[in-house]
Amino acid sequence: MLAGIICLGYLAIRLGKLELFGNGGYVVYADFASVAGLKLGDPAEIAGVKVGKVESLSLAGDRARIAIRLEPQVVLQDDVIASVRARGLIGDKFILITPGASDKTIAPGGKIRETESPPDITDLIGKVVGGDLTSKTDKTEKKSE
Amino acid sequence: MKRYLTVATIALMLLPIGLRPGLAAGGVPSDQIRATVDKALVVLRDPKLKPAAKTKERRDQLRQILFARFDFGEMARRALGANWRRRTPQEQEEFVRLFTELLEHAYTDTIESYTDEKIVYVGERLDGNYAEVKSKILTSKGQEFSIDYKTQVAAGEWKVYDVVVENISMVNNFRSQFNRVINNASYEELVRRLKEKQAEFTSPKK
Repeated sequence: MLAGIICLGYLAIRLGKLELFGNGGYVVYADFASVAGLKLGDPAEIAGVKVGKVESLSLAGDRARIAIRLEPQVVLQDDVIASVRARGLIGDKFILITPGASDKTIAPGGKIRETESPPDITDLIGKVVGGDLTSKTDKTEKKSE
Repeated sequence: MKRYLTVATIALMLLPIGLRPGLAAGGVPSDQIRATVDKALVVLRDPKLKPAAKTKERRDQLRQILFARFDFGEMARRALGANWRRRTPQEQEEFVRLFTELLEHAYTDTIESYTDEKIVYVGERLDGNYAEVKSKILTSKGQEFSIDYKTQVAAGEWKVYDVVVENISMVNNFRSQFNRVINNASYEELVRRLKEKQAEFTSPKK
């Protein structure tokens, strides 16, 4: 009986510690024009792998400022891009970080400068303004007259 | 979009003036962007350069104007993202060339279709050696698009390294497309596709 309680206590502490471990790593900040739908604790991912989570959401001037707690081994180049994305059309939001090319890295407490707010009609506009590499463009064939 | 603007406006009104963020009406970065866009518009609106026979001349002039303000090397580097560092200097050089040509071909039509649109500069955000110049295009049909230029100081000038249209970053859009090709196939495949795209652009009309 007593052993059981001790075990339970130990377990509780271990779990508590685990939670504390979760607070390791370091924090970087990112300002967005909007983070509509993002919540505390939502994951930050690189290539689909969770590397951190949203630790705080606040307003900085007219923009949303979020703090992301990253795992200690994660290194971000100073030209990474952070975007607020949703899983599926109405799925949970998460922060997608795409690695950059820079040799400089973002120090703990630093800022992710390149951010993208949640898209309204991303794919559509992305294809119109960004050019789609993967499909043939008939529009472009017209012009090489 | 409107809703965000309303929220932003309310947020701004609630802030004491001294604490307002660095969203100024215009500064050096805005002036430089504006000068470049204005120069491009002069060329686009020039009736002497309108005829089809003058296309090459018009495009040469546009290229000169835009190359002075847009840092295509930096754009290419950022668009390739993490894969950039894995390439040799020769490959990087080739990629910058292919990427620049891709942009040139992909956007010439779009740029040339803009002639009577009104452009307003809505503000700029300065952050050390970086600045974001915000503008809006008002079309004759009354549509409104936001175009933000991300710039950084290079050799004493503000150079554009990303263009964000309606909240969509061009660099990020390309970065995810390029990454997809590299992850699913290889870097060589990406280069092959870029070259194919280029051939598609330059081949005479069927």
